[in-house]
Amino acid sequence: MKTPRRGAQGAPRGAGAVDLSVTLGPLRLKNPVVAASGTFGYGTEFLPYLRLSDLGGFVTKGLSLKPRRGNAPPRTCETPAGMLNAIGLANVGVEAFLDEKLPALRRHDTVVIANVFGETQDEYVAVARRLNGAPGLHAIELNLSCPNTDKGGIAFGVSPPVVRQVVAAVRRAAPGLPLIVKLTPNITDIAVAARAAREGGADILSLVNTFLGMAVDLKARRPVLDNLAGGLSGPAIKPLALYMVQRVYREVDLPIMGMGGISTAQDALEFMVAGSAAVQVGTVNFFDPKASVRIVREIAAWCRKEGVRAVREIIGALRLPPGAPPAPRAV
Amino acid sequence: MPFDFPAPVVRHQAINRDHFLLTLESPRVARAARPGQFVMLRTRPGHDPLLRRPMSIYRVPPSGRGQVQILYKVVGSGTRYLSGQAAGARLDMLGPLGNGFRPPRPGRRPVLVAGGIGIAIFPFLVDRLLRRGSRPILLYGARCRGDLVALSYFQARRVPVRLVTEDGSAGARGLVTRLLEPILGGEGGEERCELFVCGPSPMLRAVGALAVEAGVPCQLALESQMPCGIGVCLGCVVPCPADADGPLYRRVCTEGPIFEAGTVEP
Ligand SMILES: Cc1cc2nc3c(=O)[nH]c(=O)nc-3n(C[C@H](O)[C@H](O)[C@H](O)COP(=O)(O)OP(=O)(O)OC[C@H]3O[C@@H](n4cnc5c(N)ncnc54)[C@H](O)[C@@H]3O)c2cc1C
Ligand SMILES: Cc1cc2nc3c(=O)[nH]c(=O)nc-3n(C[C@H](O)[C@H](O)[C@H](O)COP(=O)(O)O)c2cc1C
Ligand code: FES
Repeated sequence: MKTPRRGAQGAPRGAGAVDLSVTLGPLRLKNPVVAASGTFGYGTEFLPYLRLSDLGGFVTKGLSLKPRRGNAPPRTCETPAGMLNAIGLANVGVEAFLDEKLPALRRHDTVVIANVFGETQDEYVAVARRLNGAPGLHAIELNLSCPNTDKGGIAFGVSPPVVRQVVAAVRRAAPGLPLIVKLTPNITDIAVAARAAREGGADILSLVNTFLGMAVDLKARRPVLDNLAGGLSGPAIKPLALYMVQRVYREVDLPIMGMGGISTAQDALEFMVAGSAAVQVGTVNFFDPKASVRIVREIAAWCRKEGVRAVREIIGALRLPPGAPPAPRAV
Repeated sequence: MPFDFPAPVVRHQAINRDHFLLTLESPRVARAARPGQFVMLRTRPGHDPLLRRPMSIYRVPPSGRGQVQILYKVVGSGTRYLSGQAAGARLDMLGPLGNGFRPPRPGRRPVLVAGGIGIAIFPFLVDRLLRRGSRPILLYGARCRGDLVALSYFQARRVPVRLVTEDGSAGARGLVTRLLEPILGGEGGEERCELFVCGPSPMLRAVGALAVEAGVPCQLALESQMPCGIGVCLGCVVPCPADADGPLYRRVCTEGPIFEAGTVEP
């Protein structure tokens, strides 16, 4: 067994203490649990329920160049063990984030990650440039699930050449910040998009965003969401997301933040074993606002019980059957 | 400030086939709550249903025992599961949430307008109004006699109640607006009133429009699908009159659920 490295600011470890810190390329987290974009507001909304400093970090709601008001309601619909959302990327805009939201976060000792999107490559670049060097900001995460208005509304993330290009352009615009690229699962082989993101200069990959889905109001013979389609999230998507994480882990050499349906420490640890160096937790914040810090506590308890001294030891520890093929056999 | 803790079920009474009165113990919520606020309640453990359900605070019984009451109607799976929770069960409860009612403007008599299960928001308000010495009246509409609940609460406090049902099985036949028109038209003396309204969206639209037209202040309690209840998912929005930048939306959970008539388009 490897002896766990003591982290830069790691507390001295007494008997039984577990090292929860993880390092993803240029980004160091005190623990592997990060609250996901769009499910954690701008952070301060959760102060009645938890200490932000108990989290590995959190990701802001997706930020665009100008404020956006989003789609007409209804915007959400509950589905079995999940929910569909078509919020329409409503957000305060990057300027208000820098002026009003970020300053309030500086006194909390946690990693703040800004989620960035645009309708054009230029917009991604402009938002990233504005964020570059902002005090108190630790990384940016590119949301590639946004429709590309220059390409007839097809999401950026589904075209590998577009992924490479937009990632490279943002990389140049924000050289000072670790760059996380968040992949859409609505693609035939997510490893292809992951590879394109790496070629564009991504430091870290996060996956997955929501799966496209819909719900029908049978009585009215109408889609439940005004937008017709929405993004599916929550426990329902966990097996799909887990599969994609292990696939990208085996195919692309970049650290991964895995997510999709995590609601317990066991879920989080399964993602880590499948290759996630850290996890993000999303929808669970809606139905259990203290879940993120509970998961941190439970991961520590699990490690103690299992005799794991540093949680990073389990990253990618999946034991594959002998001769397991890189791609799945027919199912 | 809201709290999130499991709350033990103290009592759970069936009022009729599909209406229930749930009493939970939560001294923190009981102390912090104001009329018009709500809680997010897990209806049973696990992932079915996934999301908590928003429920108005029906009453904080003045006994001082730290209890919070919810009056609800079974309309789907979540409320059906909830109705099976017996005394002793512990339900995750997040609250109190939302802005709550503003006190009536000085010199105005509160006229409460309830449609269906919208009645559930009013007893807590009436407790407070009576303590301040104001004399509310209640206009209450429902589909049928069986949907008229909590009447004994108002009768015991001598709050005047006027009823309508859509099928005529109790009170006058018709919609609650039928009771409102004479009041806004000045019947009952020169006394000026202020409306407090809770019910289905078509009723909120109709009553809100009448109030705006009559120049009577009117607070609307809105409903919406609420995944989080704490302002972060942006799922619960209600359209508001558009401004120069286009359509405008507000979050019912944190900017409401109470809005002044005319400022929202429910
Ligand atoms: C702030 C607020 C306070 C509320 N207070 C109360 C209360 O005190 N007592 C009470 O009985 N109910 C109240 N409600 C409504 C209650 O939350 C819903 O009835 C409940 O969520 C339904 O859950 P379900 O799983 O049983 O039904 P579902 O299976 O979710 O839905 C069943 C049917 O009801 C409709 N529906 C579901 N939720 C709503 C809603 N919020 N508004 C309109 N239609 C809906 C659905 O479209 C569907 O047709 C309140 C809602 C809000 C937003
Ligand atoms: C209501 C809602 C809003 C979201 N908004 C964003 C967003 O702005 N940017 C983004 O990259 N992902 C967004 N997501 C996706 C989540 O960050 C996450 O990738 C997804 O929900 C899967 O994780 P989960 O199952 O734990 O929720 C949103 C998800 C939800 C449910
Ligand atoms: S319910 Fe989530 S923002 Fe209102």
